[in-house]
Amino acid sequence: MQPQTIWQRMLSIDRRLLYLLLFVNIVAFLVAPIRMTASISPPVQKFYDEIEKLKPGDLVMISSNWSASTLAENQPQLEAVLNHLMRKGVRFTFISIEAQSRDISYRLAERVTSAAGYKYGEQWAHFGFVPNLTVAIKGMVNDLPSTIKQDVRGTPIEKLPVLHGVKSLRDYQMVIDVTPSNTVPVWISYSPKELRILYCPTSVMAAEAYTYLDSGQIKGMITGAKGAQEYEQLLGIRGLGAPFANAISFSHVLIIIFILLGNFAMLMQRRYERREV
Amino acid sequence: MTPLTHLIAQSIWRLPETLSKDQRYLYASLIVLGAFVLVLGLIPVLQTLPPRGRRAVIVTVTFLAGLFFAAEFFLPVDWRSIFPKDDPTRNFLTPAIQPAQNVLQIIGALALGLGTYGLVRLHLRNVVQKRTQWGYSVVLLVAFVTMATFSIWNTLAEKELVKKTPFVERGFSILFDFTLVQLDAAMFSLIAFYIFSAAYRAFRIRSVEASILMFTAMVVMIGVVPLGAYISYTLLGLPQGPAPADADLWTRILHSAGLPTIANWVLTTLNAPVQRAIEFGVGIGGLAMAIRLWLSLERGVT
Repeated sequence: MQPQTIWQRMLSIDRRLLYLLLFVNIVAFLVAPIRMTASISPPVQKFYDEIEKLKPGDLVMISSNWSASTLAENQPQLEAVLNHLMRKGVRFTFISIEAQSRDISYRLAERVTSAAGYKYGEQWAHFGFVPNLTVAIKGMVNDLPSTIKQDVRGTPIEKLPVLHGVKSLRDYQMVIDVTPSNTVPVWISYSPKELRILYCPTSVMAAEAYTYLDSGQIKGMITGAKGAQEYEQLLGIRGLGAPFANAISFSHVLIIIFILLGNFAMLMQRRYERREV
Repeated sequence: MTPLTHLIAQSIWRLPETLSKDQRYLYASLIVLGAFVLVLGLIPVLQTLPPRGRRAVIVTVTFLAGLFFAAEFFLPVDWRSIFPKDDPTRNFLTPAIQPAQNVLQIIGALALGLGTYGLVRLHLRNVVQKRTQWGYSVVLLVAFVTMATFSIWNTLAEKELVKKTPFVERGFSILFDFTLVQLDAAMFSLIAFYIFSAAYRAFRIRSVEASILMFTAMVVMIGVVPLGAYISYTLLGLPQGPAPADADLWTRILHSAGLPTIANWVLTTLNAPVQRAIEFGVGIGGLAMAIRLWLSLERGVT
């Protein structure tokens, strides 16, 4: 049996070695004190500008539909956005169509708001889990208190000071959809036309949303962890986005290097085989 | 004469305001009981019917249910003639959306219950009959019961229906924050390792198209992350932001040569139209499928 060439050995590299390399790369750049300044992408800038237009006391609906699987991307986004909303003195309410997100977003919001002195019930509230977003939006457009009935703490919606005078979704100024799923078309289709929609998708979902961004149906977008880093930069805060984006940056570099190496090995092996023939 | 639509709007969806609170409860209870009896009565009727008759009932109910939502969305009946101060965008079917929404929420909740029942039944059978790998079923059942107990207990405590003890709080936190969330995140993160391995093995330049795709992917991968900005604006010293209106051609090229600018151009100018075309096709396909389901033309519906 002929011994394998170096190029053949490269092409049949043990996948466990690749896994180990990626793991070391992610951990190293996650903890390394390297902080690169991001270039603010236009969708993130638009997102920031839209929230800047809000006035103190305006009402925002946050549709939080992510679970732990996309925590690395959606958590930094939501934390950065909450910080901005609280800085503007805006009231906000949460709704979740993902059962796990009901607890994740509620616990996250409790932590972030209590640190900023925002009071539950007076400045923010969580409506909990609803099984069907389309039906919930249609219901909220007509009659929000009858659709939601009570918040996660069991308080009737009418008794929450944060929703004083709110009859329907038309009384809101903005919807922010933080999600790894394709829920934004549902908000675009069924929410009132005057409601401004902002979108926080995972990186893999962002490509599809550029059409809505282009048409103005979405007013701004924060894409994944790197979008969160840009947003943190705009707000001048240090959050989870920066280290996460750092790890992603260098993982991309590693992937590119290995794609090039794989192609180089393939070309060299072909050349070797031609010479042998 | 009062139009039929006005009569429906005023009398069917809302109980008259003149009724006392007790009478309203009585009427509402009777309506719920009547609906319950109707649904329960339908099951034996459907079972006694021949397949053709059963199909006719299901097709009719499906069509009427779909028609309701379509009619509510499209009907341009002027609501203001009945309720002048109300929202003009509503029509006579709009008040029924709320009850319909409640029905759908209940059906959704029933589906969750049904799924839970099916899962527990299957794994209980595995354990009782000691089928292959029944140990995993034991783990599932124990995890299911423990998580459900602490989760329900914690939710009741949040609603102040039971006392919130440190045991419940700590137990729920260990199970949810430190177990479920971490395991879920770890499971999903495995994708990155598979993508890395797959990209190394499969991303090969075998044609012109593959070369274009790979080059574009690389530019976007680096352009969208902070490293792209660092390479372009710090290492190469390219000018950031749009070029001034009176800039010469070379300055304009330099302003457009940054990796983040190129990546954004690819996403907005190349990606967006293609995505729009795909979504348009998917939308038309979805519409056709919805009509087929609504009219019960899809095989396996009935």
